[in-house]
Amino acid sequence: MDNREKRDFEAGLAADVDAWLKGEPTRRTFITKLGQMTGMLAVSGPLLASSSQWALAQAAVELADASSPLGKAQAAALKASTEGPADGSAFRAVAEAKKFKGVTLNMTYESGLQALDPRNFSGPLWEQLTGIKSNVVELSHPDQYSKPVAEHIAGSGAYDILDIEPAWTPSLADGGVIAPLDDFIGKYLNKADLDDYHPLFKALPTYKGKIWGFFDDGDMFALYYRKDIFEDPKMKAAYQGKFNKALEPPKTWEDYAQVAQFITDQMAPNVYGAGHFRKAGSPGNQYDFLQQFRANKGQFFDDSMNAQLASPAGMRTFENMLAANKASIPGNNELDAVSLWAAFLQGKVAMIYSWPPTGRMCANYSQSAKAINFIPQSSIAGKVGYALVPGNPEMATGYNKALSADSTNAEAAYLFMQWAVSPPVSLARTMLPYSLRDPYRLSHYKSELYRSLWPDAPAYLINLCNSANVGLLDMVMPGWQDYALSIDRMCSSVWAGTDPKAALQTAAAEWDQTTERLGKDSQKAFFAEYKKLPGSSADHTVEAMGMRVKL
Amino acid sequence: MSRVAEVRRREAGLMAGFSTAISLWSDRHFKWLLVAPGIGLILALSVYPLLFSFWVNFVNYDFQIPGHAFVGLKNFSQVVFDPVARWSLALTVMLSAANVTIEFALGLGLALAMVRPFPGRGLVMSILIIPLFISPVIVGQAWALLLQRPFGPTNYLLGQLLRREVTIGWLSESPWVYFALILSDVWQWTPFMFVILLAGLTSIPPNLYEASELDGIGGWLAFRLITLPLLAPMITLAITFRLLDAIRLFDTIFIMTAGGPGTKTYTSSFYLYTVGFTQFHLSQATAGSWILLVLTAALVSFLVRHLLKAETV
Repeated sequence: MDNREKRDFEAGLAADVDAWLKGEPTRRTFITKLGQMTGMLAVSGPLLASSSQWALAQAAVELADASSPLGKAQAAALKASTEGPADGSAFRAVAEAKKFKGVTLNMTYESGLQALDPRNFSGPLWEQLTGIKSNVVELSHPDQYSKPVAEHIAGSGAYDILDIEPAWTPSLADGGVIAPLDDFIGKYLNKADLDDYHPLFKALPTYKGKIWGFFDDGDMFALYYRKDIFEDPKMKAAYQGKFNKALEPPKTWEDYAQVAQFITDQMAPNVYGAGHFRKAGSPGNQYDFLQQFRANKGQFFDDSMNAQLASPAGMRTFENMLAANKASIPGNNELDAVSLWAAFLQGKVAMIYSWPPTGRMCANYSQSAKAINFIPQSSIAGKVGYALVPGNPEMATGYNKALSADSTNAEAAYLFMQWAVSPPVSLARTMLPYSLRDPYRLSHYKSELYRSLWPDAPAYLINLCNSANVGLLDMVMPGWQDYALSIDRMCSSVWAGTDPKAALQTAAAEWDQTTERLGKDSQKAFFAEYKKLPGSSADHTVEAMGMRVKL
Repeated sequence: MSRVAEVRRREAGLMAGFSTAISLWSDRHFKWLLVAPGIGLILALSVYPLLFSFWVNFVNYDFQIPGHAFVGLKNFSQVVFDPVARWSLALTVMLSAANVTIEFALGLGLALAMVRPFPGRGLVMSILIIPLFISPVIVGQAWALLLQRPFGPTNYLLGQLLRREVTIGWLSESPWVYFALILSDVWQWTPFMFVILLAGLTSIPPNLYEASELDGIGGWLAFRLITLPLLAPMITLAITFRLLDAIRLFDTIFIMTAGGPGTKTYTSSFYLYTVGFTQFHLSQATAGSWILLVLTAALVSFLVRHLLKAETV
């Protein structure tokens, strides 16, 4: 150290000492505090992680009263998982999964009610049985697609199990986001479980000859109507007198509008003939238009993949939908699914078509759970009949459980999926009052336990099965989001007064743009694959293909 | 033993030298050490995403189309030639202008009414500014509940008032849907204008008004000759801030109309959200964001220049 350096050093030291004596912050104290803060940050990470994990940890298994149908179904699921039969998928999954004790599975679920099943029931029960923890990642519906793709691009391995729309399967499979299950299925699954799926749902996870998941939510639309109104002698006589035919649940869309208008004319403002969730983005428009369009023999694309929306079938669909709107409850075009349920449960509407929870809510079964108390109590319990949606009902969305291709715990993840969708466990899950998982297995439809949930439950289950027999699928191909968005925009603009023909042409042009963007040839190939699925069109349903399930 | 002591002495000397070298290095570079974490954060959270998004502008980055092939200006052309994008920009301009104009007029009126003390002024002011503290999503939900048929009470109350049935589709029919959106925005953000303009009014020296009174100038003339010129910088400031926020209008649209009916209530923000996160065309959404950024930057620089000019006068 030369003299100059020594002077500088001593001056710096003196300044530090002076500052320290005066109680001022010095470079030394700053560095010390910075070090302390860095240390605290390093420690706080694990501390925060453990505390947040504790906060988000699943509760203990939430079990129903053992004497209730749900309690019995849960007990049966537990028994099948622990005692067998030994070749049962649930038992084999649990037995094999024990070697992965201590592993944590990250699984995506739609936020809200959907996520309550793995948080309250299946997640904790699986942990109790195998020692494998589950971390439920709640995502909004669009994020259930975008997040797994983003994480796949980043290679983060953030998720093990994905809840996806069946319509997303081709995109996610081709993009390498999800992995095929064939090897695991060959090793662990009781093949009889595959045959237990209703044929409409069985083929949904299959793409290019491989199985990319397990179907797990039978989102069949069905018609729910007020039996007391349809069976009222005065109403029946008046209808017979006016139209020279019996008042009964409609079988065509023309009849539907006519019946709805008749009830509105007779009973409004106390009761209106119909109600629909027509609010933009709700997403009733797309499902309703697509089911009616196909029931009217509409084709989505011609052989050259040009959109065929602007067609007589499209015009006829709008004529019927507008007639139904006219006959509906005021504010029909502003309703979303929940407000439509509220209107029906309060007795303001005579007919609605919607997802299967409608039947459980009408019977006040769903409302027995605190989590679903935002839905009003049903004033129409015991008065609701179940029928097929006129023409062909839409299987609106549904869910597949899929294995993330980036999972570091692929086998454990697969085993959870196999267990969760196995007949006894999936039955208990679809019977949870707060669950939005709907029956999809033949054993669900036939279950005596499910049938004893409320007096009309047998008719409800039979109707869901019959609906699936003639049900129609969403477009299982890339671009589904774009095609569906165009339909939603088209419909809501028509409700606001746009000429239907112009709206159909605009939507068709948007469809063509989407097809061009994704590649006409590749979309053509995807559409050809889709057309092979039962339920791709009105003349290609399960029933039309000779696979009808009769209960 | 003495050899060991010698080694230790040399080691101590080396350590002292090393320590001094660190100390000197730290003296020279201390300022950089202090700013390094901040710079690191800015690089990681702002500069890197900005550069990344600039790259995304020129490649395919679409969750439905594998790969990131170079596409030139295609992403920009997809936005520019998309009629929905053009409409959303026009609507953004119209809604922003309408919202800010109404909020300014109401905010100024309220500020003028509240500038002089009166009993209960504090309470009234507290109530007036409550909407400012509510999340726009909640505001949107609240207005949707009030306006949505058949459950919302608005049409019923209007019917009672007008003594005839009112069947307005506030959330599904044009032009009512625009009134609904403006209503919710004005309800939430008028207090913002009010607070800033009130601060401006209270900073005007009262002796100016006293002098004007002595000169026989009062009322409208005093407002035009004293209040407005002295309040002008605050007016510019309030309008600049509010306008910058108004052109990002998204939350209430998302909750109240979801862009409908059709695409009639698509603002630029909602359009970009839909393209990016409903349709997953990320590169198109990014190109749209850059276009909006350039347009906004031009507006901001114009307003800021105006603001600075006003302050120097």
